[in-house]
Amino acid sequence: MILHIIYYKLITFFKTTFETRPVTIIRGCASLLVFGGFAFAAYRFSYATTYFVLEQTRTGLYLYHTFISMMLFVFFLAVNLGNIIVSYSTLYRSAEVSFLLTKPVPYTSIFVLKFFDNFFYSSTTLFIVAFMVLYGYGTYFEFPWYYFAGVMILILIPFMFLAACLAVLILMAIMKFAGTIGFRKVLAGLFLLYFFFIFLFFNSANPITIVEKVNRFYPNVDAYLSQAIPGFLPYLPNQWVANSLYFLARGEIIKALTYTGYLLLLAIIAFCTCLLVARKFYFKSWLVSLHIQSTAQVPYDPAKRILFDFRAKSILPAQLEVLVKKEFFAFIREASQWIHLVVMMILTVLFAISISHLNLRLRVLDVQLLTYLVIYSFGGFMVSSLALRFVFPSIGLEGKTFWALRSSPIKSEKIFWVKFLIGFFLVFFLAEYIAISSSIPFVRLTAMRPLLLWFGIFSAFWISLAIVSMNLGLGGFFANYLERNPIRAASTQGATLSFLLTLVYLIIIVVVIIVPVSSYFAALFQFRLFKMETIILPGTLFAVLSYIFAVFGWIVGIRSLRRDF
Amino acid sequence: MIELKNVTKNFGNFTAVNNLSLTVSKGEFFGFLGPNGAGKTTTIKMIVGLFAPTAGEITVNGFDVIKQPLEAKQSMAYIPDVPFLYEKLTGREFFYFIGGLYSIPKSTLHDRIDELIDHFEIGPWIDKRTEDYSQGMKQRITIGAALLHRPKAIIIDEPMIGLDPRSAKIVRETLHSQSQNGISILMSTHSLPVAEELCDRIGIINNGRLVFCDTHEQLQVDKAKYDGKFESVFLEVTKQ
Repeated sequence: MILHIIYYKLITFFKTTFETRPVTIIRGCASLLVFGGFAFAAYRFSYATTYFVLEQTRTGLYLYHTFISMMLFVFFLAVNLGNIIVSYSTLYRSAEVSFLLTKPVPYTSIFVLKFFDNFFYSSTTLFIVAFMVLYGYGTYFEFPWYYFAGVMILILIPFMFLAACLAVLILMAIMKFAGTIGFRKVLAGLFLLYFFFIFLFFNSANPITIVEKVNRFYPNVDAYLSQAIPGFLPYLPNQWVANSLYFLARGEIIKALTYTGYLLLLAIIAFCTCLLVARKFYFKSWLVSLHIQSTAQVPYDPAKRILFDFRAKSILPAQLEVLVKKEFFAFIREASQWIHLVVMMILTVLFAISISHLNLRLRVLDVQLLTYLVIYSFGGFMVSSLALRFVFPSIGLEGKTFWALRSSPIKSEKIFWVKFLIGFFLVFFLAEYIAISSSIPFVRLTAMRPLLLWFGIFSAFWISLAIVSMNLGLGGFFANYLERNPIRAASTQGATLSFLLTLVYLIIIVVVIIVPVSSYFAALFQFRLFKMETIILPGTLFAVLSYIFAVFGWIVGIRSLRRDF
Repeated sequence: MIELKNVTKNFGNFTAVNNLSLTVSKGEFFGFLGPNGAGKTTTIKMIVGLFAPTAGEITVNGFDVIKQPLEAKQSMAYIPDVPFLYEKLTGREFFYFIGGLYSIPKSTLHDRIDELIDHFEIGPWIDKRTEDYSQGMKQRITIGAALLHRPKAIIIDEPMIGLDPRSAKIVRETLHSQSQNGISILMSTHSLPVAEELCDRIGIINNGRLVFCDTHEQLQVDKAKYDGKFESVFLEVTKQ
């Protein structure tokens, strides 16, 4: 039965993926070009980072793998959280599930189909990125070719698979308890629990603490950190992956295989548990989800005036007023939108608070430059993720109802700019918050000189402008008006392409700022005068490049709104 | 008044509408019929600005829909075949939303919305979100919203789909009275009895070309040539 359905799903996939229409071919080639470029960049970045950390800063193999373990923990959380959210739509809100449930297909088969659908759908790009990062890392250690295949198949894919299994188990638990004590309470409780575990992990194995310790004990860090690993860390799968890589790098295959074995065993156990739970509970939980959807609405009292009430007078022109109000209600009344925004805002605040407390001491140019660039890039990455999730889908989410706007006397530009401004303000404020928070440690390091703070504020504006424009524009270009789920809309091939393009932009921006930031640290650490001219040309280039990317997004977006609908 | 001159629409190598010309005069009720895939919806989407014609010229109330799209759209209303609404808005909010797009002053809008709620008998569920509406409820909201700005021309695609007999009666009477009041109406439909009942003139499109266009009176003469049924005329002119 499963194979029969998979056969037809594959036919549909190949027919839509390998269409011979000129537009599809051009899009495919463009995707290939961007994906290829990104894959190469990921490879070079991974190789250069490994080389830089191990050769230039001589941080040591053990410490490097401790960092890798933490990055893997973050990666695990990202895959896990992403899968919880996406699998809700695939397992519970998909029209395909409703269709299959009316046919004599066992519930477990539907579950397995949608589980793998979800896993491959949301992880394809991550597979490519993971492989290219592994390739860069392995090239440094001169791994033979079969190591790459082995690590990918036996370590990285099972690691992501484990995150996906846990996500689905958590989701089914949410549904189970939502049926008895209410969806909102369960969700709130679960998020609290989730963030408690994240807090616990980072409280014990905080990368910030490690950066501080590196600053304090540099260059004798490897020996020191062997004592700094908390007791529970060896039992976490991210540590097993890091250990496997560590022992592979040292050529100790048996030890590496031991940790790989742990990981594979846990992944198999997790999947079997998923199947057992799904067999007993998937259909019941699907019914619960139906009940939740039908009772999720807050009763509406027409006599009461609510915030942004359509009936209320407004100082805005009529068209602008109704567009803003419509966007507000469409967002606030869709649980998957505001819940996801709250989660991302909490993560942003956690990140910003952690970074702002970072106590940098070491006056070594390479280390501080690397720290600055990593924090800067991570901030940019967070801004990109926010824009991808909330800005990219906004045109496509108009759905088939877009007829109402397209057939009314309103300019396409106005529709675009309203969506742009809403997305821009959301992303801009969070970007500024990240920029200011992450500048604080460097302001402390530079004896309260505010230059990097001003630069952070300046760059947050331009980065927000460029990233929001690109996401909105490409979101219009790749708009699928049939996709009503914002989460799925933000994980389509077009969304991935848009995300990769924003990452290419960020890489260019990081390259532009290397010289002035490096000169600034060099001048400070060597007590030389820093000339402001050093920052003017790169700053101008930064603004011009951002503006070019933004204009590209505007043109693509506005043109997409004029296409046949 | 709606006027199409030599309008063509190609999708790649496929010609959906081929050199179509037709005029709907002021106050005329024009029935636009044709088999599935004949080009009815494509023609309608070109008139309301959802598709750009490949060739030809379309004017609505004297405004070219390509050169003066805002003026053209301000003077007409479109009712699509499937009444997609913003699911998270209530019916009342949707009315205000559409009213705002046509820049109707709030004070006027309040009164018109109340009138339409009464007219279409949608009071009991107007303050519920449209995601909970049936097809018929959505259709009534869409038609009501189209009348908010008092258009001079109405373009309507398959108005009777999903309507119960009472709703269908309300819609028929509403459209008829609009036509009586001087509004030009172009209505696409598959329902031959509805077209016969309401329309002053009927056009039949097949493979993108207008293959039949006659007044209600002339149609009776044409019917007499067959077995007295409009269905037979329709089948004959759309024969492949």
